[in-house]
Amino acid sequence: MLVSKSKGINSFLKSEKKSLFRFLTLYVTMIVLMIVLLSAYYYQTQEKLMLSNQRASLFKYAYIHAKRLKVLHHFFDERVEYPRDPRFTSAIYDVAFQQIFSLLKNEHVRFDEEIYRRDKHIHFVKSLDDFYLGTKYIIIEVEDDGIWEQLIWKNIIGYGLGTFFFFLLFGLYLAKLFLKPMRDSIVLLDRFIKDTTHELNTPLSSILANIEMMDTDVMVEKNRKKLKRMTIAAKTVSVLYKDLTYLTLEQEKENKDETIDIKQLVKSRIEYFDILLHSKELEYELDLEDASIFMDKRKLTRVIDNLISNAIKYNKRQGTLGIHLRANKLTVWDTGIGIKERKIPYMFDRYTRFNDSEGGFGVGLSIVENIIDEYDIRIEVISKLDEGTKMVLKW
Amino acid sequence: MSSLSAENIFERKCIPCHQALPASLQEMFKRYLLVYSSETNMKAGIKHFLRYPSKDISAMSDLFVDTVGIKKKTSLSAKELDDAVDIYWDRYKVFYKLK
Repeated sequence: MLVSKSKGINSFLKSEKKSLFRFLTLYVTMIVLMIVLLSAYYYQTQEKLMLSNQRASLFKYAYIHAKRLKVLHHFFDERVEYPRDPRFTSAIYDVAFQQIFSLLKNEHVRFDEEIYRRDKHIHFVKSLDDFYLGTKYIIIEVEDDGIWEQLIWKNIIGYGLGTFFFFLLFGLYLAKLFLKPMRDSIVLLDRFIKDTTHELNTPLSSILANIEMMDTDVMVEKNRKKLKRMTIAAKTVSVLYKDLTYLTLEQEKENKDETIDIKQLVKSRIEYFDILLHSKELEYELDLEDASIFMDKRKLTRVIDNLISNAIKYNKRQGTLGIHLRANKLTVWDTGIGIKERKIPYMFDRYTRFNDSEGGFGVGLSIVENIIDEYDIRIEVISKLDEGTKMVLKW
Repeated sequence: MSSLSAENIFERKCIPCHQALPASLQEMFKRYLLVYSSETNMKAGIKHFLRYPSKDISAMSDLFVDTVGIKKKTSLSAKELDDAVDIYWDRYKVFYKLK
């Protein structure tokens, strides 16, 4: 499975965004559907009202026209001139709906409705009892000026948009209420970590400083092993401490961007993690070419540390950790437990851990995501369960 | 010269008798049109009347029927009747005549 991430600092977690997206999609669809249905009902009602207003005058025209047909019938075929009127146009049809004569501008005639509108014309269908000239149906046609329709569309668009935005704001308010419990718990956890991180600094610095000062040459082998274990534990806590410090205190500091020799930085970080690699009997493959990037060194260190730390933490014993560096690409891979395909999109969410047997707060990849988003770096995650994970950074 | 020649069934069998009547074939046509409206209905109505003449189904007024009486049952064959009525319709129909 391959997942790509692109730029964009996200204030919502993916799980929050997913819930919000689902809720808003459903909500907006329902609102749009409701507005469309109401608009359609309003349009039809107004059209019927307009036709009903026209009906009286069209009925009068049909009556006048029938009288004229009666006269023409009487004098036919000495007179063959079809009666015309400047107020309307007309047509006559026999009982089999055959057109006898027509002056209509719109020839699409329907006989199942008494009055209807079609293509800017209003048709009124009058049925006769005496078939003058064979006429069963008189069609009276007048032009529809469309003013009523313009007014209706104005109302539909105006009130429709107003209603839509009102309900959209209401929906956002509902969504906020809906997400509040989730957001509150994250804020609470953030605050707790911030407070506890502060208290870790002094004892951790003291432990690491004293370990470094100890003279291992005079130690017996047994004590040297114990010291090594202490070093591993202290460094693991140190990485976690740096992550938490970054997350709660340092990430808002101003960047000090500079051109960084990535090859050199990777080497120094591998050296730092060397003792952890050995503790898990991991082999490592380094294939490093010269590469550089212009960014804050502190942040790039956090990214590399987290990728290496995860590759160690989730690797199998006696597995392999690989780092490949090219001009615009850094790949960190492991032969570890991998991750389920469906969980990959959520692995960058803060406080997300996929393996409870390993320690940590689940903040490492969240930090990586924030930093790479800020520097427009893309990340690809390629993972197979029980085979390993490959993280590829491209810039 | 009209396509309906002097030899056609309508001129031979219908016109001679109708010439003596007070109402022209044109007027009778209009009476039928008032009642039947369409070509199909009107032709069927005329044929039925010619086969079974009766005052009750005549399209003409009572005064006319009382004055000239009811005609005798037609002696034309079905085909001759069809042809005669078709010619009658084509000659007096309203279609394509109005302007």
